Amino acid sequence: MKTSSLAFSENSEISIVSKKRKRKRRFNSGRVSGIAGCTIVTCLILAAIFAKQLSPYDPSSQSGKPFSPPSAEHLLGTNDIGQDILSELVYGARISLTIGIVASIVAMVIGTTVGLLAGYYPRVLGRVLMRFVDIILIIPFLPLLILLAAYLGRSLVYTVLIIGALIWAGTARVIRSQVLTIVKQDYVLAARTIGASDLHIIVLHILPQVLLLAVGQFVQATSGAILLEAALSFLGLGDPLQKSWGTVLYWAQVRGVFLTPAWKWWVLPPGMLISLAALGFALMGFALEQVINPRLKNNSK
Amino acid sequence: MKHYLKTILGLLIGSVLVFAFSSNTIADSHKRVDRLRAAIIGDESTINPFTYVTGEPGWNILMMQYDSLYTLGIDGQPQPWLVTKLVRSADRLTYTLTLRDDVYYNDGKKLTAHDVKFTFDYLTKYPVGRFAKDIRGFSSANVLNDYKIEIHLKKPRAGYVRKAFADVPIFPRHIWSEVTDPKKHQFESVTNVGSGPYIMVDYKPDQYYRLKANHKYFAGTPRVEELILVKFADESSSHAAFRTNSVDILFKNIPPEQISMLKGIKGVSIVQGPLFTTQLVIMNYDHKPFHMVEVRKAIAYAIDRQKLVDTIYLGAATVGSNGWIHPKSPYFNNQVKTRYNLAKAKSLLDSVGIKDTDGDGIREYEGKPMAFELITPNNNALRLRLAELIKGKLLDVGIKITVGSVEQNTWEGAVWPDFDVNKGRNYAMSMWGWSAGVQADTFRAPELVHSNTGVGFLNLTGVSNKEIDRISNLMDTEDVLARRVELVKQLQAAIAEEMPFITLMYPDGPYAYWSSKYDGLAYISGQGIVNKLSFIPKSAWP
Repeated sequence: MKTSSLAFSENSEISIVSKKRKRKRRFNSGRVSGIAGCTIVTCLILAAIFAKQLSPYDPSSQSGKPFSPPSAEHLLGTNDIGQDILSELVYGARISLTIGIVASIVAMVIGTTVGLLAGYYPRVLGRVLMRFVDIILIIPFLPLLILLAAYLGRSLVYTVLIIGALIWAGTARVIRSQVLTIVKQDYVLAARTIGASDLHIIVLHILPQVLLLAVGQFVQATSGAILLEAALSFLGLGDPLQKSWGTVLYWAQVRGVFLTPAWKWWVLPPGMLISLAALGFALMGFALEQVINPRLKNNSK
Repeated sequence: MKHYLKTILGLLIGSVLVFAFSSNTIADSHKRVDRLRAAIIGDESTINPFTYVTGEPGWNILMMQYDSLYTLGIDGQPQPWLVTKLVRSADRLTYTLTLRDDVYYNDGKKLTAHDVKFTFDYLTKYPVGRFAKDIRGFSSANVLNDYKIEIHLKKPRAGYVRKAFADVPIFPRHIWSEVTDPKKHQFESVTNVGSGPYIMVDYKPDQYYRLKANHKYFAGTPRVEELILVKFADESSSHAAFRTNSVDILFKNIPPEQISMLKGIKGVSIVQGPLFTTQLVIMNYDHKPFHMVEVRKAIAYAIDRQKLVDTIYLGAATVGSNGWIHPKSPYFNNQVKTRYNLAKAKSLLDSVGIKDTDGDGIREYEGKPMAFELITPNNNALRLRLAELIKGKLLDVGIKITVGSVEQNTWEGAVWPDFDVNKGRNYAMSMWGWSAGVQADTFRAPELVHSNTGVGFLNLTGVSNKEIDRISNLMDTEDVLARRVELVKQLQAAIAEEMPFITLMYPDGPYAYWSSKYDGLAYISGQGIVNKLSFIPKSAWP
């Protein structure tokens, strides 16, 4: 570290200035995207929490005529059985965000565990685990997802598990590479010399070091999980009676709305919400990564 | 400026008038048309009696090339077609048929009694598919002369005219007598020889069929010279083609939500009629408390079927009758009443002691809450929606429903394992539906409700009712139509009294077509518009 900062000071004035500028720019762009992402995600989460207060109707009640266009009573019209689409979307935030977040928690737990083990025992177990990670990364994603969903059946729990089981591999890789450098640190060696058990070292000395990294991965994975949930539900592989943004699109598809003018108020809004949620988590993820990821941190110095 | 506006307005009104007049003359219903393009979904192979694929529209298209002894009239009842006279022996074992003498196959050979005998013998020798089932009970045929034949049965069979005579195409002996493997034998399109109003002249797999009018057709020259059946991979692409008038007619029902939109297109008309398909809720008698008639009736009272029709089908269906038979059937018993009455539903449940004792809004039966799973196949969106709404309705009377949307195979396996009712059933409540054939023939009703599974081989609920069995047995042996009709009306009343299942609705069959191009289609009750009557002069309809 010291040598690098020495080398830094030996550079010409101009280059120092330009590097400072660059760093400032990166810092700013990271901060802006972070704030934007946080705002989007916070808004959506608040909407999900206060769905009851925010939505004009109970989304499961038939509050209007089927296939009504937008009106003062129903701002986004009604669906094929007369349920208010706006209320469906507000309540849909609950399911969509919950599935997205829980699925990426599942992914984070699997990914971090695999990454810790593979990094701590790199010789045999690590190799085996990482080849397995490679396989998961290589498998074409959506077909496998569809296959699993069709095989296991349609329920929230399965949807969460299926998505979680398929998106952990990236996390595992990042965690493992970090663990590989941590185990060579002096304090780990010291702990080992005084006879600390592997479990003790992993839990007390290594896990805290990678936890922040895992959180960053989790936020990014959520973005993907939300998109996957929407894809599954749209294809009719989720539970079609649970109101998520994807199922709103599913019903629009099976009742032929894509061919009618109703796509403007029935297809576009859930589509935009899905994109917005994915974007929000992705922006947050990028910003977090710039702060957390040691590789990016070193580069900026 | 004002002047200018006036001119424009004048021009507009003028053009609208011209357009209105011109389209009026186009819409002459008896005009002949050179070419009509119809959309079908999926391939139907070479469409001869052994290669066509689907029951609808495959069989319907097949029958445009062939004729049967009887054909279905507009009311869905069999009418003499190739036959001029039919005499049935007193023991119901022999039918003596007199045939028309002016029917030719499209290769110029005459259709005679020998072809009829050959058809029945051939289907007995090579029992393939639907037609072999149709003629079940056939023993032998005896040609009396070229236009007179006796058909002998092994034992009397009710509804033989409809099943065997109105369904089986009479195919030419001179072509098929040399064919020994009908399942494998694929005809070249040019040798699809039949006697029907159309001749298939071209077939491109997965693209189209081209059918040409048979100018020597005995019932008159078809009104459309060339019929092109264009194949589409899915419904939405066929609809897109229809809306731009790349095809003139859709040979498949349109979903209810499309009706109003297609109606809005100038030049497009919708023709609607009964299809005799059904949407049902069935309840397993082995699953307590569905063995109690009060519970089944309460559920029937609690479901607002009119609302379901209006919401899910947007009105394009007929409310189900408790007596199973469609009100448009000529044998419908109009004494059978079907009502929606929440208070009655509640009092029926109260009357058998099924009450909410713990105040959670759900009633209890023998200490357990009235909570059931209503299963429905997840590939049927309308049924899923029906189940969703029924769930809400039953909650109003204190019955908790969980909708189980399951794979088609799981669903069928739970309700009708291996399609054999003797193998039991493993469900509490289920959405169900029968295809049109089960109801189009009113006298098939005992198959659904007879406790003897030999007769009641479609008895999916496990109903066993002495009165139903008694009437069904009488129907089986009753020969006089008037008395059979009286019995089937009694049966409807008995079914309504027993309520083994809840007939929610009979979806209509809406078809869309460009009436500005061609009109005067024949909607055969329970069959739809894909039939030869739609394309021959109206004067020749039976």
